[in-house]
Amino acid sequence: MATREPETGWHGENSDVNHLRGRAFEATCLAATAFGLVSVLLLLLFVANDAFRPFSADAGWLATYAATVLVPLAVLAVYYYRLDEPAGEVAYVTSGLPVVGLLLTGGFAVLFIELLSVLEWFALLISLVVAAGLIVAHGRLRPKAALERLGVVLLTPIITVFGLPPTRFNWFVTDMAAALGLDFGLYYRVISLREAIMMLPFVPTDWVMLILTLVLPVAGVAGWFVEQRRESRRDGLAVVGVTTAAAVLGVVAGPLLGIGTDVWLLLVTFAALPLGVYVEGVLRRGEGVRGLAFPVVAVVGVAAGAVVTGALGFAGPDPWLDWGFLTSATSRTAADAGIYPAMVGSVMMIIVIVLTTFPVGVGAAIYLEEYAPSQGLTGKFVTLIEINIGNLAGVPSVVYGLLGLALFIRVLQWPQGSVIVAGLAVGLLILPIVIISAQEAIRSVPDSFRQASYGMGATRWQTIRQVVLPEALPGILTGTILALGRAIGETAPLLMIGAAASVRLAPNSFFDVASMMPRQIFSWSSELDPAFRHGVLAAGVITLLAVLLVMNATAIVIRNRYQRTG
Amino acid sequence: MTENEMTSNESTEPTPTTETAASSPDPSGDPLIDQSIDVEGTDATAGETGKPVIESRDLNVFYGETQALQGIDLAIPEKQVTAMIGPSGCGKSTFLRCINRMNDLIDAARVDGDLYFEGKNVYDDDVDPVALRRRIGMVFQHPNPFPKSIYDNVAYGLRIQDQTENLDEKVETALKRAALWDEVKDKLDKSALDLSGGQQQRLCIARAIAVDPDVILMDEPASALDPIATSKIEDLIEELAEEFTVVIVTHNMQQAARISDKTAVFLTGGELVEFDDTDKIFENPDSQRVEDYITGKFG
Repeated sequence: MATREPETGWHGENSDVNHLRGRAFEATCLAATAFGLVSVLLLLLFVANDAFRPFSADAGWLATYAATVLVPLAVLAVYYYRLDEPAGEVAYVTSGLPVVGLLLTGGFAVLFIELLSVLEWFALLISLVVAAGLIVAHGRLRPKAALERLGVVLLTPIITVFGLPPTRFNWFVTDMAAALGLDFGLYYRVISLREAIMMLPFVPTDWVMLILTLVLPVAGVAGWFVEQRRESRRDGLAVVGVTTAAAVLGVVAGPLLGIGTDVWLLLVTFAALPLGVYVEGVLRRGEGVRGLAFPVVAVVGVAAGAVVTGALGFAGPDPWLDWGFLTSATSRTAADAGIYPAMVGSVMMIIVIVLTTFPVGVGAAIYLEEYAPSQGLTGKFVTLIEINIGNLAGVPSVVYGLLGLALFIRVLQWPQGSVIVAGLAVGLLILPIVIISAQEAIRSVPDSFRQASYGMGATRWQTIRQVVLPEALPGILTGTILALGRAIGETAPLLMIGAAASVRLAPNSFFDVASMMPRQIFSWSSELDPAFRHGVLAAGVITLLAVLLVMNATAIVIRNRYQRTG
Repeated sequence: MTENEMTSNESTEPTPTTETAASSPDPSGDPLIDQSIDVEGTDATAGETGKPVIESRDLNVFYGETQALQGIDLAIPEKQVTAMIGPSGCGKSTFLRCINRMNDLIDAARVDGDLYFEGKNVYDDDVDPVALRRRIGMVFQHPNPFPKSIYDNVAYGLRIQDQTENLDEKVETALKRAALWDEVKDKLDKSALDLSGGQQQRLCIARAIAVDPDVILMDEPASALDPIATSKIEDLIEELAEEFTVVIVTHNMQQAARISDKTAVFLTGGELVEFDDTDKIFENPDSQRVEDYITGKFG
């Protein structure tokens, strides 16, 4: 190596180290990232502009709201950012909680309007509680009878919810009952507890049932949570007491305010209760109290804006995505078209997917990770299966649609385009994804936990039940929710199984023909009227994206909580 | 106990020269005072202690094609501390895991030969490894408490074994025996992961002894700990030997010399080179290889 000139030195720009290629590579990567993000952002802005049409409003309207809402909130945000207190977090949570609460309220309201009456909900819940009670009682009475317990765990909920199917034994029972003059009008089957409750001659009114089955349990959980956190039984009881009082008050006062009793109860449970507990906690700790100003300013700003624009006669925008769009069915005219039945269809499809795919997928993942042999011929077979699950995750969705068409509609003769067929077809599509993500979550449980458990003399089942699953559950849930996010946006399988192009009525049962959000959006894309293709379509896309965003946010929240505790 | 005859114990088969299945009649645990020489079948001074509780006969272990243990014959005496030392990869941990059949969890592992626990071959077909592990507790190299509360950690074994009467009492006893009670009695419902490494390891010991096993296996229990935590664990092990049979694998020869009554030296290739009273091994080993290893000439 040549002697270096002393003045150039070994450091600085003239050194032997060459950064050029590295810098060029870094710049290329940055450019790729920026290109991807900017393109997606532009696309979203374009669609959002079509959906909301903010520039259809008067300039005065925009200026008014900018002055009353946007500017004060922006100023507050900057102020919180420069403040040391956790005011920003308080502002974030107090603004977010009501939104989440309202979404949940809306979800349950739709549930009660479209799927179940309050009485059906009450009967279902009571029978499930009774089933759980029976299972616990069996565990207490006969703790050793493991096989018997398996039967009890599997059969009790089915019997309390669905009753016993017509079997020879039931023929005997019902014939005997009829011979004794006890005619229940139900031949050859024993009715379930759920059906028995629904046949009661006298049932409590809706609000009593809702308070019993929804308000009190949720308030109880919140109260328990507060009690644990504050280590004060009084505070926990106070939460339950105040919530119940607010619920009962609403039953009296609700009609006067023009709010339905059911909606009031849901609002109290899902929006007011969590917000109240949180705000009370913030006030008590005295940290970040200034953050509470944010939602207040937002509400006051919107109200002030409404007053000013009303007084000055500024016309607001005419968005495609508005309350009417979310609550009405599709129509021949673009202005009246809405997405409500398709949203209900999507939600019901998700219910089918969760109920079928989650247990199957997680069960398969547990088997493959914890039980399946890894050595020998069977081990090779298991490896083959795992590889093929990976391949199945890559099979085009249209193929799953074809599978659904052949299996459920041609073979099982279920109604074409029904919610259950759609749910099962799309469920099959995401099943490999659920299996793989659940496997990942189970694999990430440290082996030392398993070793410790086995070393204590735990059986495999005890180890899985008490150590592996509690640790893996957040990961499993995160993966499943992300997979559900994919499921809700799938279109091709819905086309294959003949989901309705447009329906005017939301489905009332799982065997009803329904449309789902992506299917509805696809139909709008081929309408002749350009208003459909530009406006209604964009509104539908934004709705779908909002649902996806909420689901992904839930997954992220679960994952973060898990990381904090783990 | 500086002198010890090479004898085979009553219940042991005649064994190769590397093995000394001597029983140590030493209930006090102080090796320097005792001078008795074993005569076959006479354990009068020892009472119950010293009787072999675990015996292996020609035990071979294979991981796939590799042989990890070669014909191990060893008899571990009851209610004493038996240490296993040797360089990395010599099979001492493998042997430990054979005792409670933890090797069953490794698909590639294959065990050949006999290993008797209280006179029963644990590799017989009618032995349930789960039942075996309920009699033989284990403490691992890295503290591995469950991500549960301190209380739930200690109660884990009791719960899975359905010994849930007087649970609070049993948890307290176990924590006291593990010399951890005073440090954690006010935070039993806090996460075990918030404890320090040494506390976590004592918690793992409490968890292992809560179910009152006969034998406690320890796989380098102090190797991940600092010297102070290590000395606490060592004191604890000596106390535990009054009630339990302790088998400990360690890399630390001083540790083996300090706490153990018997020492087995494994050397590379998975063979047991010498097994004898600890003093004999450290002061006057029969094998030149053992002497080289102990004096640090290799390994």
